Amino acid sequence: MGVPCAPALQIAATGQGRPAIEVKDLVKRFKPDGSPALSTLTLTVPHNVIYGILGPNGAGKTTLLSILCGLLKPTSGSVRVGGLNMPGAAAEIKHLLGVVPQEPALYPTLTARENLTYYGRMQNLTGSRLEERVQACLDLAQIGDQANTSVEHFSGGFKRRLNLVIGLIHEPQILILDEPTVAIDPQSRLLIHQRLRELHAAGVTILLSTHYMDEAEQLCHDVAIMNRGQIVIQGGVQELLGAQRDEVIQIRLDRDPPPGLSEALGKLHEVGDLSLSGRCLRATGAHTDLAALALMQALKDAGVRVESMGYGGSNLEQIFLQSIDGDDRQ
Amino acid sequence: MSLWSRIMGEFPRFRASVIKDTRIILRDRQALALFLIMPVLFVLILSLALRDAFGDRSGASFPVLVATEDKAEVAQGVIRALRANPHIQVAVAEHATEGQVRQWMQQGRYKIAVLIPTGASEQARRRVGEILAGVPPDLRIEKPVEVRVLADPTLRSDYRRVLEGALDLALHGVGMRLGREQLDQILRVSLGKHYVPLPDMEKTRLFVPPQSELVTRDHHSLITPTSVQQNAPAWTLLAMFFLTVPLSVSFIREREQGNLFRLQTMTVPAWVVLGGKAVPFFVINQIQMASILAVSVYVLPLLGGDRLELGNAPLALLLLGAAASLAAIGFGIAVSMYARTAEQAASFSSATVMIMAALGGILVPKAVMPPLMQSLAVLSPLSWGLDGFLDVFVRGGGILQVLPETVGLMAFSALCHGVAILHYQGRI
Repeated sequence: MGVPCAPALQIAATGQGRPAIEVKDLVKRFKPDGSPALSTLTLTVPHNVIYGILGPNGAGKTTLLSILCGLLKPTSGSVRVGGLNMPGAAAEIKHLLGVVPQEPALYPTLTARENLTYYGRMQNLTGSRLEERVQACLDLAQIGDQANTSVEHFSGGFKRRLNLVIGLIHEPQILILDEPTVAIDPQSRLLIHQRLRELHAAGVTILLSTHYMDEAEQLCHDVAIMNRGQIVIQGGVQELLGAQRDEVIQIRLDRDPPPGLSEALGKLHEVGDLSLSGRCLRATGAHTDLAALALMQALKDAGVRVESMGYGGSNLEQIFLQSIDGDDRQ
Repeated sequence: MSLWSRIMGEFPRFRASVIKDTRIILRDRQALALFLIMPVLFVLILSLALRDAFGDRSGASFPVLVATEDKAEVAQGVIRALRANPHIQVAVAEHATEGQVRQWMQQGRYKIAVLIPTGASEQARRRVGEILAGVPPDLRIEKPVEVRVLADPTLRSDYRRVLEGALDLALHGVGMRLGREQLDQILRVSLGKHYVPLPDMEKTRLFVPPQSELVTRDHHSLITPTSVQQNAPAWTLLAMFFLTVPLSVSFIREREQGNLFRLQTMTVPAWVVLGGKAVPFFVINQIQMASILAVSVYVLPLLGGDRLELGNAPLALLLLGAAASLAAIGFGIAVSMYARTAEQAASFSSATVMIMAALGGILVPKAVMPPLMQSLAVLSPLSWGLDGFLDVFVRGGGILQVLPETVGLMAFSALCHGVAILHYQGRI
């Protein structure tokens, strides 16, 4: 892309050597006698990583992010951001954070430059420093030639780019992004990915909530999968993929599956999750050899021949689907 | 750090908020034109339409048909008295029957008519004779003369009352004159050379004709209330309070767009966010007031309306305008805090403002309300504002006189802003 973006990346890296975010036994109830939106949640985000928060709708991701941003008070538990306690040091923490909401939070009738200038002022930037940062952010988002166009005339991708760089206007140490690439064109998505990698390289800690598993797999060093207010899996992406690799069986059928085959295979108790797409069958099992044998027997009984079979090929999406309950998958 | 230092420290962010909201408002030119032009048009139209409904205007008159087959004292006395009344335009129809008169009224040619029966004067004269002769009431042959009034149901009741009062007075005068003439004749015959003519009581007044004295704050200003003096402040206040609709909607749009969420993730104080929005709307309110007053003073007289008399206390007007605007803005911001959607905010604030306006004497002057409604009017901040303006325009009041209304409006504003700030901060 070749755009000078150095000003945006001169992040003052402080808090080295301790986690960027530490959440311990966090509970959030919106009603005293209601079920908790977050239930004894413990999470540690190391300094200078891209950390993915995954989970189905209603898992508690937005509640968690809102508490980290200081918008909600926890019912119990502790939250430390940049080594500072929330909510006692909420004002100081807010200075460390850059927040990128899921929907572009922009003033439609203002231009891109006016939006950036306003938010820059709200982050206490003034004078030439403000002008520098506004220009750097316009360059970073590659919307410099549209700087004086009203945002209402922007495409969805341009709005998302602007939404991202507004979160960077004050050069935060920790960037929190909520679904930053929903419903945008591939070009804008790639640009946002690239900018996030550059920010990480410059020392920024990034907490990313996303529904796109491939995005999390490509970008994140660590992920936490949430379900029903709890973290069900967390760890390094590579470690998670490696640990799960042998549990997946991939079978290619010699012809299109007959009706009812998927239901019949789903009843095998040796088989965990199962998906049938065209002639490709993917299944998991606690004991893959037993599961494979059971599958082959069932396919034979159904009159379907196996063209090829292999193990492995697990991805984050499968781990995600395995980790959440069947009802939530719907 | 002192509170003042903290406020001054936030001033650059406050200024940026004001600039942002001013730009947003200025770029919606259609809405801006609507805010400024509509109230002025309302004042022009209503002040002209209601011109004759207020005050003691010579032009405030209505036509009355006098249908009579009598040509003598009763008809002459009634017609003369009604013609002398500045509120009544008399048309006389001789020899018109009651059926004809009813037909003309059904056709809409007349809204009210007086029917004087045939021989009314002769009948009245005979009745006076019986009374002067000492005939007891139950033995009198002549009945009282029945002069009737026919009225269209759509005619204003106060017009009917004016005619009935004037007619009663006229008939009373005719009766007095007939009585004096007959008594005079009796005395001439019975006293002979000792007779002295009775004085003409109609020309000799026992009482000074009553005329209302208008009570004002000072003795120098005496301004007759006109429709523009009710309408200009009333519609200024309504326009100010109607700005709560776009104000609350713009706040909720900002919330829906996620901008408030983003601001809350920063260290921006609530008063910077809310104040940034309040200032441009405050300025619009002041422009609304200035334009309505200017049109009422300079344009309305050119169109045949009354000129708005501003009184002698411009500072009191400025104070009232500022307090009313702050009250309206506070109300709009408080509504936007609790409304979930822009549609909810718009419908709630417009309905509430209309109720406050109806209650506060904006849509219907308080003077024509029944006592219960007049006492309920005190609940409406628009009523406080209107009372303040009328203190200056009509009663010659100054800053001291409008202070109670101003304090009331400021307290209402402080309450609304306080609730809004606490809600914004998540405390309530």
